[in-house]
Order: sequence, then structure tokens, then C-alpha cells
Amino acid sequence: MNPVVGIAAFVAVSLATAAIGFYGLRISRTTGDFYVASRTVPPWWNASAIGGEYLSAASFLGVAGLILLSGTDALWFPVGYTAGYLMLLLFVAAPLRRSGAYTIPDFTESRLDSKAVRRVTSLIVVMVGWLYIVPQLHGAALTIRITTGLPSWVGSVAVVVVVCLTVVAGGMRSITFVQAFQYWLKLTALAVPVIFMLLALAGTGATPLAEPVTNPTGLPPAGMYQNISLLVALLFGTLGLPHVLVRFYTNPDGQSARRTTLIVLGLLSVFYLFPTAYGLAGRLFAPDLAQRGQADALVLLLPGRLIGGTAGELLSALVVAGAFAAFLSTTSGLVVSLAGVISQDVLGGSVRGFRVAALISATVPLAFAFSTDSLALAGSVGLVFAFTASTLCPVLLLGIWWRGLTDAGAIAGMLTGAILCGGAMVAGAILGSAATPFWLAQPAAWSVPAAFAVMVLASRTTSNRVPATISRVMTRLHTPERPLETVRQTAERQLVERLPVERHPTER
Amino acid sequence: MTRVRVTAPRSAVRPAADTREAAQESEVGQVFVRSLIRSQLRLGIVVAAGFLLILVAFPVLLGLVPGLAAVRVAGIPFDWLLLGAGIYPVIGISAWLYIRSAARNESRYRDLAEDK
Repeated sequence: MNPVVGIAAFVAVSLATAAIGFYGLRISRTTGDFYVASRTVPPWWNASAIGGEYLSAASFLGVAGLILLSGTDALWFPVGYTAGYLMLLLFVAAPLRRSGAYTIPDFTESRLDSKAVRRVTSLIVVMVGWLYIVPQLHGAALTIRITTGLPSWVGSVAVVVVVCLTVVAGGMRSITFVQAFQYWLKLTALAVPVIFMLLALAGTGATPLAEPVTNPTGLPPAGMYQNISLLVALLFGTLGLPHVLVRFYTNPDGQSARRTTLIVLGLLSVFYLFPTAYGLAGRLFAPDLAQRGQADALVLLLPGRLIGGTAGELLSALVVAGAFAAFLSTTSGLVVSLAGVISQDVLGGSVRGFRVAALISATVPLAFAFSTDSLALAGSVGLVFAFTASTLCPVLLLGIWWRGLTDAGAIAGMLTGAILCGGAMVAGAILGSAATPFWLAQPAAWSVPAAFAVMVLASRTTSNRVPATISRVMTRLHTPERPLETVRQTAERQLVERLPVERHPTER
Repeated sequence: MTRVRVTAPRSAVRPAADTREAAQESEVGQVFVRSLIRSQLRLGIVVAAGFLLILVAFPVLLGLVPGLAAVRVAGIPFDWLLLGAGIYPVIGISAWLYIRSAARNESRYRDLAEDK
């Protein structure tokens, strides 16, 4: 591929992101402005922003690559990534919005009235964030290597530098609009080449090189256990993702949080049709990519293969731009959430602290990315989902729906999940993918129930520690907001009450 | 006009309108809150279980009916079509049904809490 194409696409996306970030919308200057702005973001923008932040390297590159490798087994990935939002809608969306918490540590602290729970939650949120950034950097490394021929590390470093610059300079103030733009860019970048490829194939009447059912790798298909464990991880992992919760805060009330989630489900459903189409087309027309270990690059290479000449190069540039939008949006969303948590809990919550924390949040995973090999992108993100499903998901679900949860139970359960799932991930990394037994490679099926069980049992044995505020908190989480007229009447009082919790992290 | 309301004592200004706080304070209110939470949880579990049943039914169907996976629709194998595109409308419909019912539960709660 022409190296200029890759570099030009990366620079264009970075500049567009920064430009929208800095000049797009400068409403949220003060906390009060942010509060007002949160009520004026239309649900469509909000949903696009959630989709933009959520669709990472795993969705953009990894899903198609995995479909090329494992066929219909891999179709469970996009289904799980989407259905995770259904679970979020059913059990988390409205109560979490009504809690008024801005981050997951804010939520657990106010729900369980405990600083210790806050610290453990913060620790786990930071771990999840770092684990999730690593595959983004691997994706960037792969994209730069494939499209420009430059060394892999250039891609990871470039993404970290761009994210640090925009976040530290305050360019993420209008993050909702940046992320919304990224969703539509990603969708366009996948959809337009698909349309051109279909036209080209119809025009030339090209014959497929292989059958879609033919497995190009010759590896055995995944068993029932792997598929079930994967679905558990994806269904329950989504609702604990730290950067997802922040986006729900920009909904004015619980019912609109639900409506936004419905739109998100629609946007994700439309998006995932395209990686699936790339995967199927890859099986038909580019089965050799699976053999050469370039499956994750399928989305990047396919348009150039099927459509030659300038048109092919332009479409390739579009796909590369979409890929970088995926790395940048997910990484910056995670860095902003992590920096909010780190600066508040460790560095005292000043603006300078937020900037230092942003640098830490982005550079630590860079070291991880250098020291680890790139696994299949969708697979390594799947493991992060297993980790959130084993740690943050139980504390959110039980915290929202069960009065009996105690701080001791929450801590015991989160640590159990973190040790079991984290241990399985470390063991898998040491053993290598070939030697890892299947139950260790997909830990969610046993680590998630274990974390729930420990959380419930430990809470039962410490039932005298149920916080005194429980009735008030549960009422706040589950009862509908006042009708609009009374909201306006009490907006000012509420604003004063809510200030400490609901500040935007960049405003600190 | 509104400023007067904001600075005035809460109970005197908004006798029944502020359902959230009223519910916290009385025992009857807590009964309503608990029943709202129970019905929302039941609704969530029913929708999730229904969706998961359909999700599981897809591969079971493909396994039970031999030859179904080999059927081509516009050149695309049927199992790819079912898993790759057919599940998404099910997710959307489940979500839509849930949102309607959840809002109905809440308006029922609001009627109760404001009537008493």
C-alpha cells in the first residue's frame, strides 16, 4: 500500500479530532454550564457519542479478522458487543443516571458510604482502562506497519502523543461532539468501501477463491464452552466499562438514558453489519490473509485488493482514517475517565493533577503494549470484558438491585473476580495461546459467578454493615425524576447539592 | 417567581409534587418504592431471559435442522445471515418493549406516590 495514504489519513483524522475538540462547542466552561449543557445534548448526538467511544480497534479491525479466522463462531463477538448494551439498558442505564454519579468509584462510594470501596473500585477501574488501551495501541501499531511500512512502535506512540496533546490541552471539553463525529466517520469508513466493493464484484463477476464455510486456518472450531463463556463476558462486561458510564451522565434523566441506549443499540446493529460483511468477503476473496497472520489487517487490505488504482487507494485511505478514529476515540475516552479517577483519588483533583494523571493514564499502557505481543484484537478485548464482568459488573448490579450489599462484600467480591480473572489472563499470557487450556483462555464462565457468589456471601455475613442511607439511596436510584416543571423550579437547589459529584473531570 | 419557591422551605412549597423526597420520608412511600424496584427488576429479568432464549434457539435450530445452514439466500449461507444480521432486530425489539414497560411501571408508581 502507498505509505503516503496511511500517513495522510492519520494526520487528517488527528487534525479533525483536535479541531472539533477545541472549537466545536465551547459551552462547557464552568460546572454550571456543563450541567445546563447536559440537558441540551440531543439524544441522537449522545447516542452517536456512546457508539463512537465504544467502537474500538476490536470492533473496527478485530471482528472482521476473527470472522476470517473462525467463521460463524466469531459472529458471536459483534452480537455480544451489541447485546451488552441491552443488558446495560435492562439493569443499569436509568438507575445509574439517577444516582448522579459521574464515575464508577463515585457510584460505589455513595451507594455503600465507604471510602475503602471507593479506593478498590478506583484501582480496578484504572486496571480495566489500562488493559483496554493496550489493544488499541496494538491496533495502531499494526495499522501503521501494514499501511506505511514504518516500524510498529510508531503507530502506538503516535496515538498516545495525539491523545495526550488533545486531552492535556483541554481539547476534550466538547468530547461528546468529538466522539459523535468519530462514530459517523467509522461507519462511513467501513460502509462506503463495502458499497464500492459490491459494485466492483457485480461488474467484473469475480469468482470467489474459496467457500465461506472453508476454514482457511484449519484450526478446530470453538466448542460450546468457549462460545458461552465469551457471551457471558461480553453481555456482562459492557455495563462495567468505565468510559461508558460517563457518557450516560449527559442524559437529562433516567427515561432519556433509556431512550439513548435504544438509539445506541440501533447504531451498533447497523455498524456491525459491515465488519461481518468484510469478514465474509475476506473468506471468499482473501483467504490467504488468514495464513499469513494478517487477519486483523483484513479491513485495511481488502478494498485495495478488490478495487485497484486510485479508487482503491482513496478507499484504503478512508478505511485507515476510520481505523485511527477507532484507536483515538476509545483511547481518549478511556484516558479522560482514568485521569478523572486518578487525579481525584491520588493527586487532589486540581487541573494540574488532571493533566499529570492524563499523561500517566496514556503512557503506562504504552509500556504494556511494547512488552506484550499483539494477540487477535477481538480476543484480547474480549478478555478485558471478562475482567470487567468479574469485577465491576457484580458491584454495579448488586449495588443497584440488592439492599443487602455491604462495603466488605463489595470489596471481597471485586478482589475475588480480579484475582481469578486476572490470574487466568496472566497464566494464559505465560503459557501462550497454544498451550492454554480452553477454560483458562475464556475465564468468564466461572470467574463471573464466583465473584457474584463471594460478594453475596460476604455481604450476608457482614449484614450489620448495610449503610444507614440505604433507603434514601435506593429511592434516588429507582424513582422517576420529578416532572419537568418542578425540575426547573428546583434546578438551582439541585445544582448546589450536586456540585461535588457531578463536576466534569476536565473542570477540576 | 421561581426564586421564591427555591428559597422557601421545601415542605411548605411542594407538598406532593416532590415525589422522590416524600417517598423517602414516609413508611408508605418506602412500600411503593420497594414495589417499584421489584417490578422493574422482574421486567429486566423477563426481557433478558426472553432474549437469551431466542439467542440460544438460533444455534440449536441450526443444529437440529440439518441442511438449513447450507441454504443460500442471495449467495450468503443462511447461518451467516441468521447470526450476522438476524439477531440485531431481536435485540432492538427487546429493548423497545422494555423501555415501554419500564416507563409504564414508573408512571404507575408516580400515580400512587402522588395520590396518597
